[in-house]
Amino acid sequence: MLEKILLLFCLSSALAENLCRPDASNGYKVRLSIKRALGDEAYVWNQDEMFLFRATLAFAMRNHLSGQDFQVSNILVCDETPRVSFWFIVTSPLDATRPVGKEDVEEAIRKSRSRINSAFLLTDQTLEFIGIIPTLAAPVSPDTPPWLIVFGVVMGSVGAGIIVLLVYPVVHKRLKKDEEEEELEEEEGEEETRRVKTMENGAAGDGAHNLSFTDDERFTQM
Amino acid sequence: MGQDARPNWDSPMQFVLACVSYAVGLGNVWRFPYLCQMHGGGGFLIPYLIMLFLEGVPLFYLELAIGQKMSLGSIGAWTAISPYLGGVGLASVVTSLYLCLYYNIINAWSFWYLFHSFQSVLPWAECPINSNRTGPTEECEKATPTQYFFYRETLNIAPSIEENGGIHGGQALCLLLAWVITYLFIVRGVKSTGKVVYFTATFPYAVLLIYLVRGITLHGAINGVKFMFTPNMEHLADPNTWINAATQIFFSLGLGFGSLIAFASYNHYNNNFERQAIVVSLINSGTSIFASIVTFSIYGFKATVNYESCLERTRVLLLNTFNIAEDNINIDNVFEWIEKLNTTYPEQFAKLNNKLEECDLETELSSAVEGAGLAFIVYSEAIKNMPLPQLWSVLYFLMLLMLGMGSMLGNVTAIITPLRDFKVMSHMSSELFNGLVCVFCLLLGLGFTTTSGNYWFTIFNDYGATFSLLFIVLIEVITVSYIYGLKRFEKDIEDMLGHRPNWYWKIMWSITSPLLLIFLFIIYIVKYINGGTPTYQAWNKELGTSVVTEYPVFGQLFIGLLLVSSISCVPLTALYVFCKKRKLGNHEKREHTVSTVSA
Repeated sequence: MLEKILLLFCLSSALAENLCRPDASNGYKVRLSIKRALGDEAYVWNQDEMFLFRATLAFAMRNHLSGQDFQVSNILVCDETPRVSFWFIVTSPLDATRPVGKEDVEEAIRKSRSRINSAFLLTDQTLEFIGIIPTLAAPVSPDTPPWLIVFGVVMGSVGAGIIVLLVYPVVHKRLKKDEEEEELEEEEGEEETRRVKTMENGAAGDGAHNLSFTDDERFTQM
Repeated sequence: MGQDARPNWDSPMQFVLACVSYAVGLGNVWRFPYLCQMHGGGGFLIPYLIMLFLEGVPLFYLELAIGQKMSLGSIGAWTAISPYLGGVGLASVVTSLYLCLYYNIINAWSFWYLFHSFQSVLPWAECPINSNRTGPTEECEKATPTQYFFYRETLNIAPSIEENGGIHGGQALCLLLAWVITYLFIVRGVKSTGKVVYFTATFPYAVLLIYLVRGITLHGAINGVKFMFTPNMEHLADPNTWINAATQIFFSLGLGFGSLIAFASYNHYNNNFERQAIVVSLINSGTSIFASIVTFSIYGFKATVNYESCLERTRVLLLNTFNIAEDNINIDNVFEWIEKLNTTYPEQFAKLNNKLEECDLETELSSAVEGAGLAFIVYSEAIKNMPLPQLWSVLYFLMLLMLGMGSMLGNVTAIITPLRDFKVMSHMSSELFNGLVCVFCLLLGLGFTTTSGNYWFTIFNDYGATFSLLFIVLIEVITVSYIYGLKRFEKDIEDMLGHRPNWYWKIMWSITSPLLLIFLFIIYIVKYINGGTPTYQAWNKELGTSVVTEYPVFGQLFIGLLLVSSISCVPLTALYVFCKKRKLGNHEKREHTVSTVSA
């Protein structure tokens, strides 16, 4: 009995080794650049991290092919290097000897790419799946380009400046002319009332009220 | 009352600042550093300073003297000196008109870049993504993001001068803004210009100072400054060094356009322009040297950044190909590892030979650029790598704007002042006349905003003013020294300043400067003849780089037309005046004979 189990185990692992190899037709190469992404806070890549990777990938497969219960054991990994790069291959949960097609794996990874990245605190550039091009974020295009707004502000203020420069002297001249006309009218009006007043005073017979001096005063003041 | 009396500067300081603002322009920032690098770094200063004293200052003094004495624009002033040579003034006006047409386009570009700096990510820092969202646009990948932004998004450049598209809307708007601001500065003539120059003359120095401090503290800046200042005396034996020094002084001071004559014509009669001429020339040269220190620290920074990213790319390539752990190779030992891997895994190494780049700091530093390419491509590439790039970008393009606008003030004044001296124009109000000139130049300048506009811009830049100016200034100095007479000129100066110019000035005007100018003139002609068909740099979309292309026939004809139209003003006017005088002389003789007969 024990021998049978041992044989099965050896067979499956041998098969697994056969399935997973570099340049496998259904496998992908993964490369992580942890030090580049995290610098001093980089974690060490060990078997626990590898377990997380396999679990995350199983999650991605479940996400894509709903209904199929992928397990960690369905993700086979081989050819690990100090670079932190390795090959993996996904086997079907129903039959451990049959690998899942490349397109399905690619779709699954594409769908859950951001979840896989965030599980390792990495980005599309530092966690690379060789052969799967990341879909770049759509460019944000605002309704009015920002440069047009700044342009509008500058153009508006310059235009206002020109109008002020052109209109100000005309307005100034007109205001001054109006002021001068008003002053002239006021002076003429005052002269008349004063002349009437002095005449009245003179008529009242208050004595020698020198009219000419009054008039002269008016003129010199002007 | 105000229209008959000639307006004046509010103070001599305004006149000096106007001259500084005009002379210190974009050429100080983008031509002088290039020449320094090409001709032996610090050693270039020797021919530069010698030429400053042999031709720069004396010719500057000459133009100021003429303007202040005659109190007229260039046409009126030269007609007063010698009626046959009024054409010199006319040639100046025509050359200034060409300059005005294309110079404001540079200001339009500065506005475009300035407005685009108000974004969280500078648009020239990254390539835009292509429609499949798989990677950057193809053209941008082959070139660099800064080149792509300049050639594709700013200019939308056509593959050659023959193909034409429509007007670039954004460019046209920026050009409109540039002309509106120019109008705002000159609307009242000297009264408004005088106030503006306080700002346009001083602001660039503030920014240059800030940039000097920022530049020197950048990583790798010292490489650039060392590269520039290591004098290489061998270049002094090369005649090209001296020729370039002479032409740089000449064009940098803005001689021959008539702007200096126009500015000086608004001076009081006894203004001491001798001291001012020396001061402005020295400030101009000092600014060139100052600006090149800044430029070279920026060069050094950019070269170091490029070198280090080249090393980084090589490092990643080695790590990925040989699956080595990440922290084994760092930037310092990349070259050692290359050697090691070459010996241990030769076949694998041979496979990636074509992907391996040559990383060399010297090559990066010696890639010298001048002109618009330096200002808009190289500098913006350096700026995008600085911390807080938006701030530095805004400061830098504001400085370019001040430099460009300050020079535009002189250019437009050079056109307006002589034209207003004619009785026909002086009846129009100055605001209306200035507005008409600006609108006229704006409409013609829209041609430079088309897709092939940049190639026409290059034609104007290379041929519109260079040759004609040499001719104009040569005629000017010969006229004053020999036709008008040095003695009369001395007396005029004594009248204005109270003392005669000393022997240094007289020797320069009568012997040295004319000889130098004739020599430069001949060199230019020889270069044109030997150069073959004139060529230009056409931007190739597929290759993502500029390609040297010959001008088509209509392009060469246009170049010829540009040159001939300004130079021919001189002989044509002389001929016209000669014919008019002869007709008048015959008319008088006929009248005289008639009267004697009747008597």
